[in-house]
Parts: sequence; structure tokens; C-alpha cells
Amino acid sequence: MDIKITEELNNTLKDNGFKTEEIKELIANAESSGQKLKAREGDISIAKGGSDNLTVYAVYSPSELLDVYAHKMNILGLTGGELNEIDYDDASEWACAKCGEIALERNVDMTYMGVTRPGPGLVCPKCNEFYVSDGVARTLKTAEAILEEKRA
Amino acid sequence: MPAKDYAPIDENWLENAGSLWTTPWVDKPSERVIVDPIILSHAASLFRKNAGYFYQNPDEAIRMVCHACELYDVTPVGHYLYADYWGQDYGAEIKIQTNSPPGITKRPIKTAEDVDNFEVLDSDELAKGPTLTTHYKALDTCKEEFPNMFAPITQLGGTMEVATNWAAIEDVFMWMITEPEVVDKLCQKAGDHMVSACKATAERYGANVMITGSVIASGDLMDTEQIKRFSFQPVSRAVRKVLNAGAGPGIYYHLCGNHTDDFQMWKNAPMSPFTIVQIGYDGQNIFPTSKLVEHFGDRCTCFGTVDTKLVDRGTPAQVYEQAKEQVIAGKDSPRGFILGTACECPTNAPPVNVHALVKAAKDHGKYEKF
Repeated sequence: MDIKITEELNNTLKDNGFKTEEIKELIANAESSGQKLKAREGDISIAKGGSDNLTVYAVYSPSELLDVYAHKMNILGLTGGELNEIDYDDASEWACAKCGEIALERNVDMTYMGVTRPGPGLVCPKCNEFYVSDGVARTLKTAEAILEEKRA
Repeated sequence: MPAKDYAPIDENWLENAGSLWTTPWVDKPSERVIVDPIILSHAASLFRKNAGYFYQNPDEAIRMVCHACELYDVTPVGHYLYADYWGQDYGAEIKIQTNSPPGITKRPIKTAEDVDNFEVLDSDELAKGPTLTTHYKALDTCKEEFPNMFAPITQLGGTMEVATNWAAIEDVFMWMITEPEVVDKLCQKAGDHMVSACKATAERYGANVMITGSVIASGDLMDTEQIKRFSFQPVSRAVRKVLNAGAGPGIYYHLCGNHTDDFQMWKNAPMSPFTIVQIGYDGQNIFPTSKLVEHFGDRCTCFGTVDTKLVDRGTPAQVYEQAKEQVIAGKDSPRGFILGTACECPTNAPPVNVHALVKAAKDHGKYEKF
């Protein structure tokens, strides 16, 4: 898969410490395994990868890398432990590419610097895979900065 | 009273209070439970001013609140807000009252057709509007004069609270029975407005703490299905949109009034790593902290409450006893605990009652485990 990266995005990646090769590898892994989110409308995907310390997401179309974001908080699982029925429409704009299920917007437990709290995740109810949106990653960045300051 | 006329805030107190305030959020050890009696115009009474003066002078209001926090040894956060936010931005008229918070006298939505034609403002328009201009004057004063007591709070209320600031409560309740789809539309617009307001604060200060929840939508006025349809669902949608827009991370679910029959649904409300849940009453009684911790303690920070009627009209001994019971039940809640009042500290509450609340936390809220 030959992904185009604009100069502007390439500069942003460099500024934020992301390596182009690693992002391309992350996308290649998602494409080969099918483990990614796919927009329910349009041809956009989200791949994820990384380690316990950093989860990285790449948003891309078949031809172009659109965005890369990350969070340090490590997702442990669903808040409350189970996927219970809830009283509002939790269907997201994304579906799991592997099983086709609509990803649900649910609270997931996240841990960082010894503190575990809930956060808004995108959950594949069948594969039990967890993702976060780019906007939530921005929110988590603020939360991480507070934890780093207060837990230091 | 200008800033120069206040005594300086004791830096040692502020450092210690900041440490107590940190514990419920980041599990950092501290000496005891922090207390937040939600001081607003009560601070004015300590300076021989009234609620009208407080709300007409947001910069002074913040100074009075910050100094009241030091006086009582409570959460070091400068608050300024009132319930009837967001009407003026859309053409409502507001009346400043001497002994209570400002109240809306004329609302912009009169008919069901008005709901269809009602257009929600975007974040730029709201930032320039009367509500946030005043609100930000208070927050800017706090940031400048009391930087360690600053929090970028946005007072939203829930969708029913915003809706009834736009349309008369009797009209909204009548539509709930005769034309519920009109209230759906209204609450959806209220939710969109909440997102715009949070974005405005996040754009100005780099982060946002939203106060939302369900006040009018409580068991005393609405049944559980109505609360679900017109409050829980649109509020949850709005909070999720706010978080997806990067306009968090703070969420304060203020469930004022009686929530016996609907509190369980709020367990699944969208949460961030900095989420508090506060529930006022269980029927006619104060919501037991033991029950709050049982249902929310493994999810988020719990805010245990003491009856505001007791703080207003009870004796210090009564306040102390109820606070003692609540703090003992809540202090070891797994994801943090704050002791406070069921709603805003009444303007003319006897200061000895607020002191009794804090004393109970000092006497019975110590963290032996640390």
C-alpha cells in the first residue's frame, strides 16, 4: 500500500517525534491483519499500534495519510468489566474492519502513572479491541499532563 | 473592594489545600478528605454584601470566594456561576436580585414553532455573548490574581436546565405531554449549545471542566423515562461530543434533587479521567454516600453530600453528624472522594455550619492508609 504523506503532515510527524517508517508499518500491519476501524461512511481507516507506554493511531485513506495521534494512558478494558446494555445510542461512526461490528462509544479504564480512571473509548463489541478518537486523544493529553505534574 | 484591600492568601494554607484537592484526582497521598461546600454568593455574606452585588461584580465575586475558601479551609477553587446561564445570549431578559442569584424574566422561545427556528450559537459567538463575557471576567480575575485557585469551569447544567432557560418551564412540561418531539428538538439544541460553550472555554484556556448533570430532570418533577429521554440521553450525547472535540477533560455530573429511580443510568454516562459524580437526594433524604460509593466508587471520584437545608437551617451539631456519617462512608472510595453540600452553599448559611462540615472532615476523614 503506497501511502502519500503531505509535506505539512510530515513536518508535524517529525515535530511530534513520530517516524514515518513506523507509521507505514503500523498501517501495513492493520491492512494485513484487518485489525482496524473503518468509517461507516467513506473510505477512511484508523490503525493502531505501539506499546504499553504509548498507543499510536494512524488515520488514512487508501492513498493518503491524514492524521497521526497518540496517548500515553494504557487502556485496560471496559469500565465496570462488562459490555452491559446502556440507555442511549452508543453507535459510533466507525466499524471494526475485522468482524464488521459497529464500534461502540463506551467508557474504558485507562491507567497512567499508577492512576486508573475511565475515559471515552471506541470498542469493538466482538473482538474486544479498544481505540480512541483524535479528539479524545487531545483530551487525554491534557489529563496526562495533569497527572505528570501532580504525580511527580 | 479592589484586590489591594484583601489580606494576602496564606501560601502555606494554599499549598496544603492544593495537596488535599489533588488526592481525589490522582491518588496522591494526603492528610485527609477535602471539603467543597460549593461556595458562591455565600462568600458575599461574609463580606457584608448580598447576592445581587456578588453577581453584578464577577471580579470581586471571585476574590470573595477565594478568600472564603481560605477562611473555611476548603477546596481552593474560585467559582463564579449561577443556574440561569445562557438565556441572555439568545435574547432572554435577566433580573439581578438582591438576595438570590439572577433569574430569567423573559425567555426567547414562546411556541413550538420557535423551537424549530431557534439557532444555536457557535463557540466564537458564545465567547462574545453576555454569559461568557461575565463568566470569563471572573475566571480571568482568578487566573491573574489567584493562579493556583484557577479552574477553567463551564457551567452548563443539563439539557433540561438549558431548555428551561430558553423556554418557560411550564411550556416545556406541557410539551413533554402533548408534543414530546418538540422537547426532543429543544434538548438536542441544548446539547449542541453545551458543546459550543465547552469549546469556547477550551479554546480560551486550553482545557475545560464542564458542570453538567440533571437538576430539573429529577424524580420530583419527571418520571424515569422522561429523565432518560430528555436529560440522560441528550446530556450523554453532548458530553461525548465535547470529549471528541478535545474540549475536556473535567466532567462534573451534578445530579441535584431526588434521583432514587434514575441514578443507576448515570453509571454509564460518558466519563473522562477527571470525572466527579454528585447526587443530592434519595427520595426526601440525603443520598447516602455508602450507596454512591457502591455504585460509582469503582468508576470515578465520588462527591458525598450534606443536606443544604441542614447547612442553611440546622444546627452545627446536625451538620457535623450528617457530615461525619457521609465522610466515614466515602473517604476510602477507590477513585477518590470529596465531601460537600448537595447544592450551592446557601447565601446566608450560618458560617458555623460550614465550619462544622469542615470539622467533620478533619475529625473523621483522615487517611490512615497513607
